[in-house]
Amino acid sequence: MNRRSLLLGATAAPLLGLGHFAQAATPIKIGLLEDISGDLASIGLPKLHGSQLAADEVNAAGGIMGRPVELIHLDPQGDNARYQEFARRVLQRDKVDVLIGGITSASREAVRPIVDRLNAFYIYTNQYEGGVCDGSMLSVGAVPEQQLSTLLPWMVEKFGKKIYTIAADYNFGHLSSAWGNSILKPLGCEIVGEEFIPLGVSQFAQTIQNIQRAKPDWLYMLDVGAAQTSFYEQKNAAGVSLPMASPVKIMLGFEHKRFPPGVMKDMYAAANWFEELDTPGAENFKKRWRAKFPNEVYVNDMGYNAYVAVMMYKMLVERAKSTKKDDIRQVMAAGDAGIEAPEGRIVIDPKSQHCSHVMRLISVDAQNKVSTLKDFGDIKPYWLSQVGCDLTKSDPKEQYTPDHLPTR
Amino acid sequence: MMGNLFSYFYQFADVFSFLVLSAAGLAIIFGMMGVINMAHGEFIMCGVYVTAATFHAGLPLPLAQACGTLVAALIGMVLEVVLIRPLYNRPLDSLLVTWGLSLVATQGTLVLVGSTFPGIGTPGGGFEVGGYGFSVYRMVLFAASLLVLAFVYLLFMRTRFGVHARAVMQNAGMAQALGVRRSQVYALSFGIGAGLAGLCGALYAPTMSLIPTMGASFIVEAFVTVVVGGSSVLLGTAPAAAALAIVRTGLNAWYGQIIGQIGLLIAVILIIRVLPDGFSGWLAKRES
Amino acid sequence: MLNLLNGPQTMGRGRVFWICAALVLAAALVYPAFADPYDVGNFGYFLIWIFMALGLCVMWGLCGMLSFGQTFFFGIGGYAYGVLAIILGNGPAATIVGLFGAVALAGLAAAVLGYFMIYGRISGVFFGIVTLSFTLALAFFLGQTAGPEWAIGRARLNGFNGMQGMSPLSVPWFGGPVVLEETALYYVLVAGLTATYLLLRVLANSRFGNVLVAVREDPERAELLGYDVRRYQLIAFVLGSALAGVSGVLYTSWGQFITPSSIGLPAAAMPIIWVAFSGRTDLTATLVGTFLLLVGFQTLTIYSQETALVVMGALLAATILFVPRGFVVGIGELLARPRRKRLAPALSPDDARP
Repeated sequence: MNRRSLLLGATAAPLLGLGHFAQAATPIKIGLLEDISGDLASIGLPKLHGSQLAADEVNAAGGIMGRPVELIHLDPQGDNARYQEFARRVLQRDKVDVLIGGITSASREAVRPIVDRLNAFYIYTNQYEGGVCDGSMLSVGAVPEQQLSTLLPWMVEKFGKKIYTIAADYNFGHLSSAWGNSILKPLGCEIVGEEFIPLGVSQFAQTIQNIQRAKPDWLYMLDVGAAQTSFYEQKNAAGVSLPMASPVKIMLGFEHKRFPPGVMKDMYAAANWFEELDTPGAENFKKRWRAKFPNEVYVNDMGYNAYVAVMMYKMLVERAKSTKKDDIRQVMAAGDAGIEAPEGRIVIDPKSQHCSHVMRLISVDAQNKVSTLKDFGDIKPYWLSQVGCDLTKSDPKEQYTPDHLPTR
Repeated sequence: MMGNLFSYFYQFADVFSFLVLSAAGLAIIFGMMGVINMAHGEFIMCGVYVTAATFHAGLPLPLAQACGTLVAALIGMVLEVVLIRPLYNRPLDSLLVTWGLSLVATQGTLVLVGSTFPGIGTPGGGFEVGGYGFSVYRMVLFAASLLVLAFVYLLFMRTRFGVHARAVMQNAGMAQALGVRRSQVYALSFGIGAGLAGLCGALYAPTMSLIPTMGASFIVEAFVTVVVGGSSVLLGTAPAAAALAIVRTGLNAWYGQIIGQIGLLIAVILIIRVLPDGFSGWLAKRES
Repeated sequence: MLNLLNGPQTMGRGRVFWICAALVLAAALVYPAFADPYDVGNFGYFLIWIFMALGLCVMWGLCGMLSFGQTFFFGIGGYAYGVLAIILGNGPAATIVGLFGAVALAGLAAAVLGYFMIYGRISGVFFGIVTLSFTLALAFFLGQTAGPEWAIGRARLNGFNGMQGMSPLSVPWFGGPVVLEETALYYVLVAGLTATYLLLRVLANSRFGNVLVAVREDPERAELLGYDVRRYQLIAFVLGSALAGVSGVLYTSWGQFITPSSIGLPAAAMPIIWVAFSGRTDLTATLVGTFLLLVGFQTLTIYSQETALVVMGALLAATILFVPRGFVVGIGELLARPRRKRLAPALSPDDARP
């Protein structure tokens, strides 16, 4: 199109009443950063699929405010520097309206300074260690108060008060273990052992023996990454059979689809999504997913959250009638911004910009079968607002932890 | 008491076999050819995947493991001819080529086979000593590591190939003048090294979760064992693995896995400072 | 001193080369006037990494020491800058102190470690692996600093998630300090890189550089000729490592973020890949090749999605197999061939054999 036809178009459009149509045709761009190569590809792929499914459904239903959705996906290969490069690229070059993605907390922290500087809007889709109080970010995954304050007391009641913690030597591991202690100690529990394992370690003979020496009632598992999941196989081979609780197994790593039966026996987890969920909404969602991606090994909670993120964004834009961050933040600040997700209704907490979730307790038996043991109902993300994060009033753009609290 | 004593032995044996099995293939290739095989982890991964695939296809585990070893060895020999042979006089360049190879292998596996692979399950069950449970299969691994050491010893000391190989290692030009075909010896050595890497993968396949990048979890240990061992597999690998296993087991037991990992690396630095040519260089010097 | 810009240790001499170089520099200087801000920023980002590649070129290409430790010093520089910038706050004075302090620390660390290794007569492949051990140990160590006890003043190392919240570099300027971002950062990087490149060329062709090459070719011969080989090696190592520290500072300032994964594998292998691909024996080749490789890898990753790593690996292997001396050196020699016949036979800096 040369300049003259552009000019012609610009003058002709209002005359013909096409102004609205021309605007409607410009797509809403979603920048997507998900690893589909490298170490974390097994998690990144379902996330990409979730976003693609959501985009298809949104477009089939007429887009967002009549505008189609366009996904711009780049693969950072699990490399934090690539996350930085690509966050800049999609925000500055492609001028996307929203940035979605990132797997590890490190990748989220790599992206966040760039998002803040470019005054963009970012949705983090993973369940994580919690604590990010940043007005530019919406978190749709579950956080410790949702997963742990449901799961751990139940474990104590059912199995006992002697607990052995095995955690990845990683922020997530340290923080979740601290979270666990803060929940378990008031219940009169004794942490008979606490061990941090470097990322990438795959041999656990010493750990297994320490466990046997400490004789806990159950194990609190916070391992991360494929190498560390070798623990389960090795523990079983040594004849250690204890109940286990984890916020990241089963619904995230789908170990019960990858390991032979028996290895994940007696693993308990609290999940907002797992593929075995059988509510009508969930069944319908799974059917749509499987129709588009028939070879998916497991529809895990990361992929599900990625789907929810796009739907949540659609709702926010439609209510704000704008893709501007400030307008969207006003909608989030209202306190009732939410959607009917496959898990149930989830709502954005205005103070922390994290989502409420319907949490359920699940377990794996010796045949790798997952069953739902308890429905905790709707659990709100309360910790951040409790310690003083209120994004409706101020925007500190910080990650708080129990040992790094906001100064009031 | 009995339980504790056995447990120290068990821990040591476990680390020792991990070090020996993961390092043997790398050590042979490095010692024989001076080539640092950056794709070592991917040969291990190849052993794992072939073992798992043939096992799921219905073969009994030991046969599946043999398949894993053989396939890795064959691929190794083919790659030696295609990629390594043109670089005989440029060992540093072969480092880069094998690194490129490892990228292709990991990501290629991911694209072709998928990001995860169903596991096998550890055979053998457990046994109890003094109130502690132990895994039988771990003892099998320990036995396998001793067998690998014995195999390497016999191969180099008692076979015609071994004589040729040692001749090439000492003086390639002289050996060639005497009618030894260097390229043949190298191809076989690389094949054996790759096969041992495959064996390591095959043996550990039932104990780990399988993803294309899993080779990386063997690499650090393999490299440090080879460095501490020096250029001769015969003299170096076993004492290096034993020394490092003692360091690591002790630190693991008293201070946890993090210190164990860092301590291992620091031990390497210290040993290299004292014995710049590794254990084998030191032993060879004492002998002469 | 200027006559040392040309000499046997650097490719490219004569009027044509320098005119080309000046044109490239001029193009780089006017580039921001035509490109969109994203491209300028991205272009500048690539330049950040070239410092550490040049550093490796000095110690490996010129002096024959293959170090896996570039990311070790990159990390020292980056983390030190982070700590200093968080403690001292923003503003030109503070961040420039941060820059020099961090680079000095990287140099100091290199002097200590280098002394240990070089005076311990560690050489060849072992030098590579010992530096790799150091590098991995640092990455492991920093990875386990997630707890609150790992803090220096207000600066928390923050484990695997990385350190953040440091202020970016800024410089005093007419009418108030300028924060080095996007175009401003780009110009500073172009200037800094040009200066570094020219200084290293002078160094390479000076008496010092000739001794380095002599050490690379045959350390024993150099020693017998009366040079204290280890001192030269140590100086080259410190210089090269300090340049890695510069890259670390710039990277941290650029993204206001650094994590241990910038130090450990596979990051540690990248500088070696860049330099080997380009042709390790030559500074110009390293400069051009590293830039091309960075652009190429990023472009591949953007457009070929999950096959990017496969293509990268295959390209690398093919380059090594078919262009033994490095891609850029190979092309440079191809260009120089007809001229060389007329001129005196050039000293061919033969491959460094370990």
